Amino acid sequence: MATSPTTVMDQLLTGLHLPDGLDAFAGVIRESLAQVTNSASWTRYGRQSLEWLIGMNPVDRLFMLSALTLLLMLLLGRLRSAGVLAVLLYGAQFAALLSTDTLFGAPLAAEVRITVADQSLHWSYDALSWFFAMLTIGAGFVTAWYAAGSWMRRYREAGRSARAFHVALALNCFGMLLLIGSADLLSLFLGWELVSWASFLLMALVGGLGAQAALKYLAYAISGAMLILGAIALLYSVGGSFEYDAVVAAIRGMTDAQVWTLLLLLGGGFAVKLALLPFHLWQAAAYAEAPGAGSVFLGAISARMGLFGIIVFIVGMIGVSRLMTLEIPYTFMSSRELIAWIAALTIIVPTYTALQQHDARYLLAWHGIGQGGYMLLGLMVGDAVGSAGGLLHCFNYAITQAALLMAVFAVVHRTGTADLNQLGGLVTRMPLTFLVLLFGIISLAGLPPMAGFVSKWMVYRSLITEGMPLLFVTAVVGTLGTILSVYKLIHNIFLGQLRVEHQEVAEAPLSMLIPMLGLSALIFLAGFIPGPALSWVAQVQGQLGLPVVPWVLGGIVDPRGGLDMIWLVGILMAGFGVGALVFYGFGGRSRRVHQLDNYAGGHFLTADVHYQYSDNFYAGLMHLIGPWYRGAFRWLERSLAATLDLVSFGAEGLYRLAQPTLLMLAAAVAMLAWVL
Amino acid sequence: MDWLSAVNLDGLAAVDFRWLGLVLELILMPLIAFVVGLGLVLMLRKIAARLQRRVGPPLSQPLWDIIKLHAKETQTSHGLIHEIGIVMAIGGYVAAVTLLPVPGMNGLAQQGGLIALLYMTMIPSLGLALGVGQCANPNGSIGISRALTAMLAYDVPLVIVIFGVAFHFGSLNLVHMIAAQQAGGIASWGIVQMPLLALAGLFALQGMLGKQPFEIYVAPAEIATGPMVEMGGKFLGGLFVMQCFQLYTAGVLYVTLFLGGGEHWLTFLFKVFVVTAIPMTIAMVFPRYRTEDMVRLFWKWPTMIGLLGIAFVMN
Amino acid sequence: MTLELPVDLLFGLNLDLNLDLTRVMTANAIVLPVVLPLLAAFLMQPLAQVSRLLARLLGPLVLTLGAWIILNTWLEVGPAPFSVAIGGFAAPLGIVFYADQLALLFALAVQVFTLLFWPGLGVVAKAEAAADRQRAPRRDALALLLASAATGLALSGDLFNIFVFYELAAVASFGLVCADDSGRARIATLRYLFISAFGSVLALVGIAILYLQTGTLNLAQLAQVAPETLQGPIGLAAFALLLIGFGVKAELFPLNAWVPEVYATAPARVSALLAGLISKLAILVIVRLLILVFQQPEASQLLLVLGVLGVLTGEFSAWRAQDFPRLLAFSSIGQLGLVAIAFSIDGTTGLLAGTAVALHHLIVKSALFGLANRWSGGLDALAGAAKGAPRAAGLFVLFALSLIGVPPLWGFWIKLLIMVGLVQGGAPLDLLALGAILLATAVEAHYLFRVALRLYQPPVPDRALRLAPPARWDTGVAYLLGACLVVISVAITPTTEALRVLAQQTGDVLLYIDTVFPQPLADKE
Repeated sequence: MATSPTTVMDQLLTGLHLPDGLDAFAGVIRESLAQVTNSASWTRYGRQSLEWLIGMNPVDRLFMLSALTLLLMLLLGRLRSAGVLAVLLYGAQFAALLSTDTLFGAPLAAEVRITVADQSLHWSYDALSWFFAMLTIGAGFVTAWYAAGSWMRRYREAGRSARAFHVALALNCFGMLLLIGSADLLSLFLGWELVSWASFLLMALVGGLGAQAALKYLAYAISGAMLILGAIALLYSVGGSFEYDAVVAAIRGMTDAQVWTLLLLLGGGFAVKLALLPFHLWQAAAYAEAPGAGSVFLGAISARMGLFGIIVFIVGMIGVSRLMTLEIPYTFMSSRELIAWIAALTIIVPTYTALQQHDARYLLAWHGIGQGGYMLLGLMVGDAVGSAGGLLHCFNYAITQAALLMAVFAVVHRTGTADLNQLGGLVTRMPLTFLVLLFGIISLAGLPPMAGFVSKWMVYRSLITEGMPLLFVTAVVGTLGTILSVYKLIHNIFLGQLRVEHQEVAEAPLSMLIPMLGLSALIFLAGFIPGPALSWVAQVQGQLGLPVVPWVLGGIVDPRGGLDMIWLVGILMAGFGVGALVFYGFGGRSRRVHQLDNYAGGHFLTADVHYQYSDNFYAGLMHLIGPWYRGAFRWLERSLAATLDLVSFGAEGLYRLAQPTLLMLAAAVAMLAWVL
Repeated sequence: MDWLSAVNLDGLAAVDFRWLGLVLELILMPLIAFVVGLGLVLMLRKIAARLQRRVGPPLSQPLWDIIKLHAKETQTSHGLIHEIGIVMAIGGYVAAVTLLPVPGMNGLAQQGGLIALLYMTMIPSLGLALGVGQCANPNGSIGISRALTAMLAYDVPLVIVIFGVAFHFGSLNLVHMIAAQQAGGIASWGIVQMPLLALAGLFALQGMLGKQPFEIYVAPAEIATGPMVEMGGKFLGGLFVMQCFQLYTAGVLYVTLFLGGGEHWLTFLFKVFVVTAIPMTIAMVFPRYRTEDMVRLFWKWPTMIGLLGIAFVMN
Repeated sequence: MTLELPVDLLFGLNLDLNLDLTRVMTANAIVLPVVLPLLAAFLMQPLAQVSRLLARLLGPLVLTLGAWIILNTWLEVGPAPFSVAIGGFAAPLGIVFYADQLALLFALAVQVFTLLFWPGLGVVAKAEAAADRQRAPRRDALALLLASAATGLALSGDLFNIFVFYELAAVASFGLVCADDSGRARIATLRYLFISAFGSVLALVGIAILYLQTGTLNLAQLAQVAPETLQGPIGLAAFALLLIGFGVKAELFPLNAWVPEVYATAPARVSALLAGLISKLAILVIVRLLILVFQQPEASQLLLVLGVLGVLTGEFSAWRAQDFPRLLAFSSIGQLGLVAIAFSIDGTTGLLAGTAVALHHLIVKSALFGLANRWSGGLDALAGAAKGAPRAAGLFVLFALSLIGVPPLWGFWIKLLIMVGLVQGGAPLDLLALGAILLATAVEAHYLFRVALRLYQPPVPDRALRLAPPARWDTGVAYLLGACLVVISVAITPTTEALRVLAQQTGDVLLYIDTVFPQPLADKE
């Protein structure tokens, strides 16, 4: 008889000579070991659970893994290894998402459904859901990795709860996955609220300024949610159901006035999350003040949920062609132009606000708001290339912003500050972080050869071919402002004079560098070979009923001016080669001087003399456009708050009246007068 | 590539040969651009000299300047990024000129149109900016701040012009634009069809080249503040090379958009030299603008002219 | 007549008790939860002279017994409504109790919640001063009186009886509010007294009008004759006056000017009872009147308008509130406005939504006032409170989320129900109410989470936390109610179904009449 593990253990244990008192103990051990090593039951159990997992509905599996992540973080988030576990779990979620195959395959409904008082909540994944879920889980994955090591150690040392962070992140992912899989209005609202509150949690984790910003976010978010709830009530009253099919039918039968109402309610609600003008004021502080890794996640994906809503309802259900028929009375504009202009202003105003920031986190957060405008603008143009550009920009922007924020928070991790006036010259200390930031800013500014160029190019092109000159100019001016602003960012952190206190600064820790470098590679690859991302976008377009972009591996084929990034990037690299040949191949050897070897007006400088041009970087420009920053939106926000305060004061006054019975008498008289 | 299509080969061999031809074009185009650029630099210096009643440099002076700068013994580098910046500055233009069709050669014009070209020309600016930043000299950084501000100024009319032209030709493809203009003769040239845009484009060209009166950010020889502060030896030499390309790109672009491109090399080069000479001639007459005044100017007149031009184009 | 009835009532009840001891387990036992606390209240002082411990235990015992009786009756009798003629006198002459599921539910809630928030429970006796020990029996007696009156309000089928119970509840609550003998509480009580008295006068006028028009105050009889006699302005005027009268306790705008001061100064448990429980019973009365007697769209509109005003003024004022009890008080006004709006919706939907939101508020607001027991005082002082009491802070967040209406909590489904009801109504006023609710919710979320964030902030170093010692009982009650909320949120479908059955029963006027008068009363007319 072959020796099974059990018998081996038995022999081992019986062979041992134990003191008398320990006999019973040994018996217990033996029994438990026998149970553990009873391999037959274990493999059966394991195989069963594995079979169950494999045989599951793929969407359910995705949901289950996401919920499991949340649960495990809730239980084990305190552990030191929770970060690694989280990375693995997000990886598993990614695998589960890939296994749903809803991008190229047919849409797939989840078997999970909740029935509440004869209303059913259910979920379904299609190409659009897949696209956004990919972004979400990807953002969760890189964020978790970024946070897993040194960053989380520092976070713990500051006396903060690692568990709260892990839970908040997992909850965000879970909520988003529910939201983007929603298949009726109730599950949509459920997901929407979950996402809103989860991001509130993530923002408020640190307290202080973050908590203030989170509260402001909450005021905006809940107002937006109420608008959406109003829209849901409207749709229900017309269609008599919360199902999407009924909603589509209801919208088709709506009068123009009803569609306008719906547009304002839904658009307003989603615009808050996307931070479209004039609802953009909450976002920069809320994202910037969140704990570093959380900020990366929020910046990369969170606001896109608003865009998702707009895509589903305004682009998908109402449709751009219907928008074009909705004229604004007494103007030449249609509602589509109105939205496009809101998008364009969302590009301009926040971008130029970013130009004025002197905190790297805020600068990037403001740009994040501006970039949202490009996506919406592309979608509103509505042709094949434009809508594809808008969608593609979601992906390109997500990887770009994540990389940028990671680089900035790596600097914060090492130096303790994100103040652009307190940094400088770090390129020699943190060269890889510099590289990541460089890739990021090139992509954010939309210059070749990085990913951001492709999507922005598509938006520009559609604006030209559809004949929208002013929107085009606005979009480009936004890009130019971005170039100015991101140069300031990289200059003030990495270039210029190295400060004395930063001479010993080390490169970012490996746990943070790996996701950063990975994203940088992705940014370059997505610019070099945009084909794969375009193929996803094309699927999404097909599903939404939009014209499908003619993509190839290198970009877009179109006789009226296509784009082949493989060629462009190739020639650019060749150009760099020629440049290097010209520079390094000819002439005398250059002698590299020390970074601090500098002079001013003939005087040699010592390292402790600050000799860096950083504050008010674009003084000349600000001399001209400075007075244009009137803070009109802040004024609007403040006056709204003041109005609320005044109204509240009035309301409270009613309860402070010295003679409440007079009020009652008046009410009685009024009522009697009314009834009689 | 039309001379290539005349070669009638079949199958794989034809593909191979075309591929080889394209490689040849990609090598030739930057070389031609560099040589023509040297000529343009020489012309500008001659014009400036004549206006100032000087004789001006001899024919080979620009080339000797570059050789001299490269050959200098003191070559102070402030770090890798300082050097990479110069490489990017040259490399960006080397790539950009392959997107500009010249007589007989289309290069990569089919693979990236007008917008790709526009953004490709921003790479050198970025490279220069990075390189200067690494020098840790605030005067250099101030120069970059001014240069980028200037870019913001002249790019507004420039993109308006680009929109108008692209809309007029119904394409972003430069090859199409040239074909359309050459098919219809002078009457179909951009400058005849869109005079207002051509005027605005001339303004933008002036700013783009960083010539007087918009050269405060370069501030040659007068102010210690400017991108060139820490640039000596072959760093300056590299930038000199870049300038050759820059003049070429600007001139050829304008010719392509408004003057019918090049039927053959003679008329093509003539047009390019004339177009580049205009800004230089105007330049000497005006005093230098401050950065914010430059922004104000560019956002006012050329922008208005350009928008008016678009209004005509779109109707 | 005014003087006779209470005597009659007591007499009748005593008689009933003596005669029918054998029938205690049957339907008639339902009068016991009214009678027993009343008796106990009168016995309290003498008993305290004999044994302080016994006196302390009397209240909880009576309430437990009452709860058990109601539950037992409910289970025995089943879902059908039944009526009890007290003293054996037939309905139009005698006093009638009408017990349908709604009434039983609230009667049960009265017992349970009075027990949960019983003033003497969970308080360490030794810590009490001698004066407190003197006060305890009186306070307990008042609480019992309140319980008795509230149960009576839930069960009464006769308008005059309702009025009497209502006044009894008022008197008891006056006493309870200033039970701690603080000056501010007394001033608040005085204000409360004025408003209440004025309201009662108006209500009495309303009752008089009803009586003059119809010659009866029995609700079932009123329901029969209302379509003929109470249509038009006269009926509406009577309703308006009654609305003002009962609206005082129901915290309807503008009759609620007493609310913030009273809740801010009264003991937290008393506030919990008044805000959570008594207000709902007053609303219940109004709803009964609305269904049985005043089935006119104008009456519903009146309620809707007052509800909207209450929601807006309440939530906006709460936004400015600087201390926790006052914030809860204003929030309670807003929530009762929501209750009023819900009940003004036509048909079963309205009743369902109204009952649900009333129950929800009963659970949530009571629990919050329980938490306020340790967090009284300015909002600024709450900074860092979560460190000392993480579970209480977590509960606060849970309740706040449900109040705002965040899915998947119960509060969301209720709000959805109300919104769907309003949209289906579709009148401009309905849509206005919808807008008001949405606006108020946004405001509500802001101020509730301003508090929540403050709880989780690091404590202000130079300001010592002036928090009351941990009140285990109150936190425990909050736990219990939180668990209730979660259970209901999970079991939302059966809950809603049960409430729908209840609402259908409540809205059935004929059932009411048939239950009170088993045989057709054509001969009496």
